[in-house]
Amino acid sequence: MSTSVPAYLDNAATTPLLDAVRAAMAPYLEEEFGNPSARYPLGIEATAALELARQRVARATGARSEDVVFTSGGTEANNLAVLGLARARRRHGRHLLIGPTEHPSVREAARALEGEGFELEDLRLDRDGELDLEHLAASLRADTVLVAQMLVSNEFGTVYPVARVGRLVRANAPRAVLHVDAIQGLGKLPLSIGELGAHSLSVSAHKVHGPKGSGALVLSEGVRPRPLLYGGAQEHGLRSGTENVAGIVGLGRAAELAAGDLSATTSHLEALRELLATEVRRTGVARVLAPGTMRSPAITSLLLSGPPAEVWMHHLEARGVMTSVGSACQAKKRDVSPSLRALGLGEEQSRHVLRVSFSKKTSEEEVRTAVRAFVEVERELGAPR
Amino acid sequence: VARYGELWLKGKNRGMFERRLAQNVKHAVEGISDVRIERDQAQLVLHPESRARDVARRVQDVFGLSSVFLARGTSADTEAIVAAAEMVLAEALEARPRDRVLTFRVQTRRSDKSFPLLSTELDRLVADRVMPPYEERLRVELSKPELTLGISVRPGRAYVFAERMPGAGGLPVGTVGRTVALLSGGIDSPVAAWMAMKRGCEVVFVTFHSYPYIGASYEQKVRALVCSLGRFQARSLLYSVPFAGIQTQIRDHCPPSYRTVLYRRMMHRIADRIADAEGAQGVVTGDSLGQVASQTLENLACIEDAARLPLLRPLLCFDKGETIELARKIGTFELSIQPEPDCCTVFQPRKPIIRGRIEVCRNAEGELDVAGLVSAAVEGAERIEA
Repeated sequence: MSTSVPAYLDNAATTPLLDAVRAAMAPYLEEEFGNPSARYPLGIEATAALELARQRVARATGARSEDVVFTSGGTEANNLAVLGLARARRRHGRHLLIGPTEHPSVREAARALEGEGFELEDLRLDRDGELDLEHLAASLRADTVLVAQMLVSNEFGTVYPVARVGRLVRANAPRAVLHVDAIQGLGKLPLSIGELGAHSLSVSAHKVHGPKGSGALVLSEGVRPRPLLYGGAQEHGLRSGTENVAGIVGLGRAAELAAGDLSATTSHLEALRELLATEVRRTGVARVLAPGTMRSPAITSLLLSGPPAEVWMHHLEARGVMTSVGSACQAKKRDVSPSLRALGLGEEQSRHVLRVSFSKKTSEEEVRTAVRAFVEVERELGAPR
Repeated sequence: VARYGELWLKGKNRGMFERRLAQNVKHAVEGISDVRIERDQAQLVLHPESRARDVARRVQDVFGLSSVFLARGTSADTEAIVAAAEMVLAEALEARPRDRVLTFRVQTRRSDKSFPLLSTELDRLVADRVMPPYEERLRVELSKPELTLGISVRPGRAYVFAERMPGAGGLPVGTVGRTVALLSGGIDSPVAAWMAMKRGCEVVFVTFHSYPYIGASYEQKVRALVCSLGRFQARSLLYSVPFAGIQTQIRDHCPPSYRTVLYRRMMHRIADRIADAEGAQGVVTGDSLGQVASQTLENLACIEDAARLPLLRPLLCFDKGETIELARKIGTFELSIQPEPDCCTVFQPRKPIIRGRIEVCRNAEGELDVAGLVSAAVEGAERIEA
């Protein structure tokens, strides 16, 4: 398989590193190798780099820099929020509410808490595939201590009304904190922990052209989780372990660029989405799923005919077009995702859904290449069965 | 000290078996430590430079050995042997419970018959010298003791050991010959290949992929299985054969219910060609009688009809549970259950034939350019050194 990709349309799985990010990281992989805990200049320089990155992440998420905790990525940030916040608040209650389409790093962490005596309840989608806010309001209780609701669905691009969730939580469950997985939101929507009314928010570098293995949990003032890792008390004791300096610098720069280019990125993504929708309609190779509802412009789901989407995906990849079936993290699961079920898709139909996802680096040419490949594959797969 | 029982040491082959076994052992421990290997009657003595325990564990995977002992080497005189025995016994007792009496014996083997003491005399002498400090903890019992202090006396050198690890059994890989093994990524075929290796076959792996109907990650899964099985033989080769072209031809020209049987007939033709190229004399499959539709007696006959080389089916009469138990033991189970569709799932008919007929297969293949398809697949195969 070739390493140069004519059309990389799986940006919700990961994105290529930006040159500017690589350049920012380079010194910390080379001469600036100091341990931030060291008190001589090499260590102090590393500390300064961490603090600059902290400010950049804080600015990109509307938080204070002292409320940013660096982690090994999105999964650890989500785990720290769910496990750490629930454990820190257990004396107030044991009730957890988890969004209907949360990433496994939220869902499985919450499930692990069941073994510690917590009670777990799922939120629902209504018939239109929207978050069922009435059900949420009715489910909030005095002993609810954590609500986790993602901002943008990684599978489907659905943008959830998190600010409304935040208001409902404050009104109906005063002891609860709201954790927001914003990993697919950074760089795609304006992001503010305050405006969302969230108590914690997770971000990941590699979804916004940063390096893998670097992420952060952003907290609101005064909210502190119980740590998952104990040791040298780095990150104010919330995340022990020598800091991944280069990775954190990369996250800082990538987050700064993601937030800074937001309006240009958004209009670029919207143009790409429109182009894909038009071309798909013109060639008749697929149907765009649920174009009407609130969606991230970065993610489009297509309903294909003929063989399952997985077969399409491999035929497309053979032509250099990278897409995905479901989300990469769940690509090996066979369950129908709740968002597809909410749209009335059964098990058979849901196997025909392909995810196409853009980034600011995606070009119109890549979209056109992809559509040409779709037409070719349709012709090839159209053989008698 | 690695022992190999003498059951299979017959006449003139003995030298060949022993040389091969020593080679296999040497290869197995590469990268763990430099090891000097000496051959002695029915045992190999390994001298690792370091990491002796890791070397011993690794050697446990080498077929043809009945047991492996972690031993302390010393010069072959009585006082030195006693001193070594004291150390080995002290270490062995440190790791055993103190709250009860252990049954114990000393057992000597002499390959140096010029040693001044008989084996039983040395047994007694060592026991008398090492036991007194542990009077409350040890009681001599000659049959089935819980702790055996072994002594091996060779010309100029002796070895003392208390720890016996079971060997893998079987015959040294390569001493029986070379075979091809079909590997699907499922649970059965890696176990079948392992069993062939256990009985002394060097195995060349062959897998079939239906890219782009299934993902390239299928090949990664098979490679991981080959790597895992690779610890049982010195060198592993994997042929990855493109199969989607043949499958679309069969889909388009042959009766749907016969697809799977026809796929398998083509696989054997291709495997035979690869076996020829690699000098292999048989084909190993993971077939188990009646397990799935293609494994009825009739369908096995249909498949065999297209094969030229002898088919080895070590799992033929195994229950699934027995195979799974072995797969867990050899470490392929976790890899095998990774969900990854294989080529047999492509264009799978809704109703596969249960009792296939050979004439129907032959007639159906009349619609195909069998020789051309087989040649194209063999030429398109990727030969991977794993």
